[in-house]
Amino acid sequence: MVCANVCSMYYSKVISPERARVRVLRVEPALDFPLFCRNCEDAPCIAACPEGALSRTSKGIIIVNNRLCKGSGECVKACPYNAIHINPDTGKAIKCIQCGECVDRCPADALFMTTEEDLAKKDPDERMRNIYDRHRNILYSKEEGI
Amino acid sequence: MIHGVGGYSLWVDLSKGSIEKKPLDEDLIRKYLLGAGYLSRVLYDMIPEGIDPLGEKNVLGIATGLLTASMFPQASRHVVAAHSPLTGVWGESHAAGFWGAELKFAGYDALFFTGISKSPVYLHIKDSDVALIDASDLWGKDVFETDDIIKKKHGRQCRILSIGQAGENMVKFAAIMNDRDRASARSGLGAVMGSKRLKAISVRGTGKIDVADSKNYLKHMDEFYRRMMANPFTPGRIRYGTTSLVELMQHIGRLPSYNMKQGVFDGYEKISGEAINEKYLVKARADFSCLQRCGRYTAVRRGPYAFEGGAPEFETQSSMGSRCGNDNLESVLYGHHLCNQYGMDTISLGGTISWAMEAFNEGILTKEDTGGLDLTWGNHETIVRLTKMIAFREGFGDILAEGSARAAEIIGRGTEKFVMAVKRQEIAGQEPRAQKSMGLAAVTAARGADHLYAFPVLDEVGFDEDIKKRFGEKYLPEMAERLNPKYKGIMVKQSEDFMVMIESVGLCKYGTQIPPEFFYDDIALALEIHNGLKFTVKELQEIGERVVNLNRLYNARCGVTRKDDRLPDRLTKEKAPLGPSAGEIVELDQMLDEYYQERGWDLKTGLPTRETLARLGLNDDA
Repeated sequence: MVCANVCSMYYSKVISPERARVRVLRVEPALDFPLFCRNCEDAPCIAACPEGALSRTSKGIIIVNNRLCKGSGECVKACPYNAIHINPDTGKAIKCIQCGECVDRCPADALFMTTEEDLAKKDPDERMRNIYDRHRNILYSKEEGI
Repeated sequence: MIHGVGGYSLWVDLSKGSIEKKPLDEDLIRKYLLGAGYLSRVLYDMIPEGIDPLGEKNVLGIATGLLTASMFPQASRHVVAAHSPLTGVWGESHAAGFWGAELKFAGYDALFFTGISKSPVYLHIKDSDVALIDASDLWGKDVFETDDIIKKKHGRQCRILSIGQAGENMVKFAAIMNDRDRASARSGLGAVMGSKRLKAISVRGTGKIDVADSKNYLKHMDEFYRRMMANPFTPGRIRYGTTSLVELMQHIGRLPSYNMKQGVFDGYEKISGEAINEKYLVKARADFSCLQRCGRYTAVRRGPYAFEGGAPEFETQSSMGSRCGNDNLESVLYGHHLCNQYGMDTISLGGTISWAMEAFNEGILTKEDTGGLDLTWGNHETIVRLTKMIAFREGFGDILAEGSARAAEIIGRGTEKFVMAVKRQEIAGQEPRAQKSMGLAAVTAARGADHLYAFPVLDEVGFDEDIKKRFGEKYLPEMAERLNPKYKGIMVKQSEDFMVMIESVGLCKYGTQIPPEFFYDDIALALEIHNGLKFTVKELQEIGERVVNLNRLYNARCGVTRKDDRLPDRLTKEKAPLGPSAGEIVELDQMLDEYYQERGWDLKTGLPTRETLARLGLNDDA
């Protein structure tokens, strides 16, 4: 949970997985999985926001404009990867913006920035891909407080 | 105001079904910290003398430490305590996982349970919503089933602490489990939970922990992380957890084998860390803020011992392996899995089965006693069968469920001499004739035989530099020599003070005692930036000492004196027969004298003197 702790401390100056932009899920047996925003090419969150608060930067990162965000939660509903949440303190949407603070600090070196193509190269026998496919439904099922 | 904590405790009267929320006692925190220290004080004042540990007067306390849920390396722990049904003295046990941190996020640091519920219940905490809920559908379920059912009902993000069938059946060494495979195993506190008909505590916390120095917090933590990861021990810990200690302990003759008759085991390679890694390890698993991730996950894919789940540590490899003369690794892995499932302490389980095995092999116990079971050394089918029979108190298992000391009292016939226990708790996996400090630590520990209360490991092998730093150069070379009894009283005393303090802040013994990376000054800094509490190193040392003395006073109330600080004759009178420690005995009295002297305790009674108590601010408790 180091990544979630780093994230909430870095952005909110508290320790609170509920306020982190990354969420770590444990799915028995033995799968620990961090949920991050993938900055989808067809990002449904952008279209879903009634305030137009989400936009894409020139580097391809989707960001939330805090001035415009009213916390309607439409982006949360639209995200297929369960990677946007409403911060209970500010009432505004929060998501990973690939700042890399957690990547640098993960003691297991389990985090790295990658693309679909790079990941396929790192996983030639598709072992990781198979584990992921087996669990993707449970990982992204939206349930209270995740 | 204290930062970095939930700020409240919950008091649950199970007889009345009432729940009360109280703020933490800040004065008490300044004298005892939180965790083990806080529980020691509160329960000392609450638990009356001479109670039935399984009766309604016993109080079960659960507390997190001051740094639990902080970002300090390995700040994942909580402590449970009560009057122990196994030992009849102070009972305390610790575990890591995610449950303790979740409790903090829900806004609580400690829970206290009094009375006995009329019917099975579990406590559900969702932030400020707290309720006792009927658990009749959970009663009779194992630890994994309980975890599944509660998560289905309250959400998969809940963290669950529960007992299995062993706790319900009040097995004297039943564990309290959390996060499926983390165990507060020693002292039999699972039986206390069972006696109260409290099946589980599920927690979901969505709150936040504010810290005292948020501006510099990450900067300090980065440095703690850097040091932990750079420690030469860390790569090995990640690779093996504690499992490779089998190889090291064999090497120094400290691997308890055949009920501690000897400290070397011919089949050690078959139950070693390397053997686990080669065929069964799935992955290492970390707890909440753990960098060393000694937790293991293993699978046996086929055969009678097939399972998938949490893997044993060194203690279980020795207790269910070498101690029972068992070199069948799959049975050790599976037996350990059953202990997690039913909720039992693997150390006392293995210690009790190996007691029975020795009596059987000596011809004192027969198949008539065991219900036809063959208890020949190393019979792994019997070990696994007995594990189930103990959890459910079936047949011969009902006697073994009392622990080896009581079982020997029931059986008699001279089997008492095979009991390898102190104050009725089975000695853990340290053959003390091969490391004298461990023999002393086992008798002075407040909760009965125990390697963790002091955890004197710096004389194990090659820590001369750290002994120099922590104790002083004048104690070298003797203190670093594991077969030399000299200075071990000083080492155990100081280690107890430090370890009890560590259990009061919620950190792990790994990273503080071994490897000896973080010491008092680091903890003082962490308490300052996390909690905003200023303690000097000397004050922290004194708090540890105060808690140890208070634990001793608790035990004195139970009738404990020097006469109870005894090892079995085998370890103090019979020379180790084989291996690197051949010819050795534990020179206990010599070490005890030095220890009591160092503590300021009376040499004859082994109890704190009035001067010592006055110095620690415990005059009113004399």
